[in-house]
Amino acid sequence: MVDKEEIMKIAILSKLFVAEDEIEQLTEDMAKIISFADTINNASEEGTEFDNINNLSNVLREDEVVPSYEREKILANAKDSDEGCFLVKNIMR
Amino acid sequence: MSESVISKLHTMLSSKQLSCQELTETYLSAAGRDNAALNAYVTLTPEAALASAAAVDKKIAAGESIGLLEGIPMTLKDNISTENIRTTCCSKILEDYVPIYDATVWKILKAQNAVLLGKTNMDEFAMGSSCETSYFGGAKNPHNINHVAGGSSGGVASAVGGRIAAYGLGSDTGGSIRQPAAFCGIVGLKPTYGAVSRYGLIAYASSFDQIGPITATVEDAAIVYDAISAYDAMDSTSQGRKGAPVCDSLKKDIRGMKIGIADEYLDGVREDVRKAVEQAAEVYRSLGAEIVRFRLPALQYALPVYYILACAEASSNLGRYDGIRYGYKADNYTDVNDMIKKTRSSGFGDEVKKRILLGTYVLSSGYYDAYYKKAQNLRGTIVKAFRKAFESCDVILAPTVPMTAFENGKAASDPIETYLTDICTVPVNICGLPAVSVPCGFGNDGLPIGMQLIGGSFCESTILNAAWQYEQAADQYRPAGFGVTL
Repeated sequence: MVDKEEIMKIAILSKLFVAEDEIEQLTEDMAKIISFADTINNASEEGTEFDNINNLSNVLREDEVVPSYEREKILANAKDSDEGCFLVKNIMR
Repeated sequence: MSESVISKLHTMLSSKQLSCQELTETYLSAAGRDNAALNAYVTLTPEAALASAAAVDKKIAAGESIGLLEGIPMTLKDNISTENIRTTCCSKILEDYVPIYDATVWKILKAQNAVLLGKTNMDEFAMGSSCETSYFGGAKNPHNINHVAGGSSGGVASAVGGRIAAYGLGSDTGGSIRQPAAFCGIVGLKPTYGAVSRYGLIAYASSFDQIGPITATVEDAAIVYDAISAYDAMDSTSQGRKGAPVCDSLKKDIRGMKIGIADEYLDGVREDVRKAVEQAAEVYRSLGAEIVRFRLPALQYALPVYYILACAEASSNLGRYDGIRYGYKADNYTDVNDMIKKTRSSGFGDEVKKRILLGTYVLSSGYYDAYYKKAQNLRGTIVKAFRKAFESCDVILAPTVPMTAFENGKAASDPIETYLTDICTVPVNICGLPAVSVPCGFGNDGLPIGMQLIGGSFCESTILNAAWQYEQAADQYRPAGFGVTL
C-alpha cells in the first residue's frame, strides 16, 4: 500500500509540490488509483511482446537545414526573455 | 431521416440562398447567445471567421465553384494548435499561450476556407470524462444542461449537439471523441492511429492520441474524415488514409456483413443502454447483416493497462511545462528548481497532477517491471485478441458508454468510479483501431445513448458504411433545443 512518504518521493520526481493540507486526500486517492493499476498483476498470463501499433517503423529523413521560426515569435510566449534568449534565474554562482 | 449538415449548408451557399457572411453571422450570434448556457466555447474568433467568410463569398460572386467544406462554420478542440489564436488545453498553465504554427489538420481545413468560429472547451489536457476538469468550467449537455457534455472533447460535442457549430474536430486518447458524442446524441469518429496527423495536437499520451471529427450525422463524419486523413511528414507515426475516400462506399449495401458482439462489452452496462444496443443489432439483422456473438476476455485488462500506459506517457509529455518557454510562470521563487515546481503545482489542476504522479510512479525504478512493462505486454495480448476477433466478423458493435451523461458535479467524487466509465472506449485506443459512435436511442432519463462500431486498422470505410446504414434505418438523431435552425 502506497503511503505519504512514497507520494512525497514521487512528487519530487514529478517536480510538484504537495501542500500539507492536500497530502492526506492525495495519498488516499493515489492508493485507490495504484491498487486499481495493481489489478494487472492478477492477470493469469504474462502477455506478449508489444512493440508498436499498426506496423509502424522508424522514420528517418535527410539532415538538411530548413527555415525555422523567427526567434522573436518563439520568445513572444516566454514570460521573461533577454537579448534573444529565455531568461531564468542563475543556476550557477 | 438524418441529412448531412455540411451538404445542406454547402447547397445553400453554392445556390446563393444565403451568403457565407450571413451564415457565419447566424452561427456567431447563436454561439454568443447559447454559450452562456452551454459553455462550449472558451474562445470565439469572429474576426477570423468573417474574414474566411468574405473570401468564400468573393469566390461565389466570381462564379467559381466551392469545395464541400468551404465556408462551413466549424470549431476545434482547444488542444489543436492554431497560429495567432490562443490554445489553452483548458489549463491555467497554457491560459495565455498563442501558438506560432497551425496543427496540420487545421492547415488542411484552413486551406479549404473552413470558417473557424472559435476554440472549444475540454477536460484539462484531455484528462477526464466529463469536461469538468477544465480550468474554465465544464461544457453542458445540450439535451439537458443539468448534465455534462462528456469528455474530454465536451466543448466540441456541446457545440455540435447544440448546433452552434456545423462540425468540429476533437481528439480521442481513451474515448474523448466518442464518449461526448454519445452523451450529446451525435456522431464521433476516432480514426485508426496514424490515419490523421497529430502534428500540432498538444500531446497527452502519444501512442493513444488521435484527432477525429465530431458531427451531426455519419455522412458529415465521412466528409470531414476524407478531408483530414492525409499523410504528413511532420508526424512520424502518420500513414494517412488507405484506399479510396470513405464517402465512395458510405451507402453500400451491408447484406452479409458480419457484425460481432462481445459479451464482455455488455457486462455491467445499464439496462436501458444494453437494450438500445441489442435493438440496434436487430436493425442490422433486418438490413441483412449477420450477428456473430463471441467472447473477448482480454477486455478485463483494458482499463488498468490504459491508465498505466497513458499516464506514463503523460508524465513524460507534460515534463515540458516548466514556465520558461511558454505558459504560466509562478512568481516569488528562490531558484530555477523552485520556480519550476511552483509553476507546475499551481499551473496544473488536480486530475492532471494525479495522472503525472501515477505515470511517474509506474515508470520509477522498482515499479517499472511490475506496472509499465507488464501493461505493455498485456497491451500486446489485447491487440492479438482483437485481431483474432476480426477473423470472424467485419465490425464489432458495442455500447460507447455504459450509461448516459452524468449529472453535473457527479463524476468527480471517486477517481476510480469515473475511470470505470471508460471501459467500452479505451480498448480501441490500446489497439490503435478506428471506431465511430452513433446515436442509438434515449435512456430512461431522456438522455441520448450512443453505440460504437469498431473496425480493423484502416477500415474506416467499413464502420462508416455500417454506421450510415443504421442511421438511415433507425433515425435516432434528435436536435437539442439550441443553436441554428436552417
